[in-house]
Amino acid sequence: MHAGTDRVPSRRGPVRGPQSLVSGLVLVALALFAIWLTSDLPQGTLRAMGPAMLPRWLAVGIGLCGIALVVVGLTRDGHPLEGFSLRGPVVVGIAILCFGLTIRGFAFGALQVPQLGLLGAGPLAIFISGFATHEARFRELAILALALTSFCMVLFGDLLNLPIPMYPQVFADLYPSGWSSDARLRATAGILVALAVIIFAATHRRRRAAEPIDVVPDEHAGTI
Amino acid sequence: MGDLIANLGLGFGTVFGLIPVDIPGLGVVPIPLNILLCFVGCLVGTLVGVLPGVGPVASIAMLLPITFKFDPTGALIMLAGIYYGAQYGGSTTAILVNIPGEATSVVTTLDGHQMARRGRAGVALGIAAIGSFFAGCVATVFIAAVGAPLTRLALIFGPAEYFSLMVMGLVFAVVLARGSILRAIAMILVGILFSTVGTDLETGQERMTFGMQFLSDGIDFAVLAMGLFGVAEILRNLDHTEVRDVVKQAIGRLLPSMQDMKDSAKPILRGTFIGGILGILPGNGAVLGPFASYTIEKKLAKDPRRFGQGAIEGVAGPESANNAGAQTSFIPLLTLGIPPNAVMALMVGAMTIHGIVPGPQVMTKNPSLFWGMIASMWVGNLMLLIINLPMIGLWVRLLKVPYRLMFPAILMFCSIGIYSINSLPTDVFFIGLFGLIGYALIKFGFEPAPLLLGFVLGKLMEENLRRALIISRGDMMTFIERPVSAVLLVIAIVMLALALLPSIRKSREEVFVDD
Repeated sequence: MHAGTDRVPSRRGPVRGPQSLVSGLVLVALALFAIWLTSDLPQGTLRAMGPAMLPRWLAVGIGLCGIALVVVGLTRDGHPLEGFSLRGPVVVGIAILCFGLTIRGFAFGALQVPQLGLLGAGPLAIFISGFATHEARFRELAILALALTSFCMVLFGDLLNLPIPMYPQVFADLYPSGWSSDARLRATAGILVALAVIIFAATHRRRRAAEPIDVVPDEHAGTI
Repeated sequence: MGDLIANLGLGFGTVFGLIPVDIPGLGVVPIPLNILLCFVGCLVGTLVGVLPGVGPVASIAMLLPITFKFDPTGALIMLAGIYYGAQYGGSTTAILVNIPGEATSVVTTLDGHQMARRGRAGVALGIAAIGSFFAGCVATVFIAAVGAPLTRLALIFGPAEYFSLMVMGLVFAVVLARGSILRAIAMILVGILFSTVGTDLETGQERMTFGMQFLSDGIDFAVLAMGLFGVAEILRNLDHTEVRDVVKQAIGRLLPSMQDMKDSAKPILRGTFIGGILGILPGNGAVLGPFASYTIEKKLAKDPRRFGQGAIEGVAGPESANNAGAQTSFIPLLTLGIPPNAVMALMVGAMTIHGIVPGPQVMTKNPSLFWGMIASMWVGNLMLLIINLPMIGLWVRLLKVPYRLMFPAILMFCSIGIYSINSLPTDVFFIGLFGLIGYALIKFGFEPAPLLLGFVLGKLMEENLRRALIISRGDMMTFIERPVSAVLLVIAIVMLALALLPSIRKSREEVFVDD
């Protein structure tokens, strides 16, 4: 997924510092965009500044910086454009999107996403985002997703009492009706940890033989 | 002098005071909440600071929402604790794995890691902790002594002076930033531009909101900070799979010998002084402290060749300077309300979220918050000394947590944290968006820190600019005619001109060459 990380600075045409040139153009584009966005607002006078005055001045300043960078890019040797990796941004972006969509449900036109609460959104986000690196391992991520979600439920829901949906109503109804919401929350967290431990134990022995041990023997313990 | 002691007394009273807390199952019980928060902050800060890929800014951005439940004093004490903890965690990684947690611990890698390779990691960590503690003590007293007079000075500031002061602060930030000056200026302007998104306070008109309702309150500070420093950092780290070169030698004894202490005493004193002074500078002066201290120690040493080979002075001096600067950089924030760096910008955000407008009025309106925070600095430093030395073994284990497990956890914390602030799924989408923007900026060679600084100061700048111009009836000369304002602007221009001089530019590049 790495594209052009080792690209030799190209000397085609008049461009000598591609990074400066492109970043300058981005700034100019941003400046024009801001000027266009504020074009229907009154500028006012210095005595009574209108809403558009400062943004417009700033946009002009940004545009000038951009032009200066373009000039630098054309006249002085500079850095080549850095390689972009697509995997990281795309996968992390999807993970965040999934979390936002499912945490309390989302309705966008015909698109209806049900509310899954932390119970659904947490593992989903952790599991998906884990694949942003090619080192991702299925088993590790599954355990992490379960254990961390359980930890976050206790920390944010139970201890800090933050207003976050924990699980769908359907799931809450599965518990005996006499249980308080705290009890349901703790039971859910307990179940998640239990699941994590089960996966860990069930796959522990087989894996250990197959994979090289990457834990350095403990010789670092400090002494006073 | 009597005032100082009375004020510090108030501060320590606040830190150690018992606060009735409603504990489920036990009822209302008075507990020393602030000291507990300070402890938790230091512990969590160190923990997060030691973990791979998380520096102080990212830790604070990530843990910001956790503090919302507490009262402002407790929340800020905890955030300050996280900051010192993360700083100290950064030094630990610098010594043990040769990776600076932050720009300020770059210098520590030079000799600290060499000491570790020679089996003296424990002594390096020990002297770093002792030096930091000493610097912290001096800096606390210094802040207490300087804070009150500076606040009085700030009270005579009008809108024109404030505007000029912020301009000067931003110019310092540009001059002391890493990399190109032009790019830093551009980022600051973009930051201010971002701050103007939303409803204009004077006229009530919506600016650059695309007609979207969630933008009419402006871009949320926490969203921007978490996106730029939480998510974008993850994306940046994913690009370089860093190899963590954890020292294989034993840590060894932690307490330095008498000879070590003798060698370090003067460097610690000098480092504290240099770091403390540089830390007050608006702009990120604290970054320069360790560099300056290292250079001086190397110049003063009888045998400069030992530097880079594990000289204890090269750890003691810069680490003290680092901590002194980290603390005195609170001075511009507490007295003038001007954040000198990204961490302090986050502090401003935290204060604003808690309904406190940072500035000189904090000391008069919330004296217990002001002095409590200063007292908590000293307590926090003591705690770091107590927590860290026995727990080194644990930190070493944490150093080995692979990044592939770290970043999903960071992402999860950021998502939950940002959602819990306003219960808006759009906030979650926006940290993703700003993460991508931040990643693109990094790829184009821009630093996100000046952007955040510009964003934080943007609203205040616009407000003061408008007020100053209303008072002067639209006359721009007001900024030059008022003497204080003129002096501030002249300093800003001189700094900028100096930074652009070829010779200074060269030495500036040398200072930041290690980054």
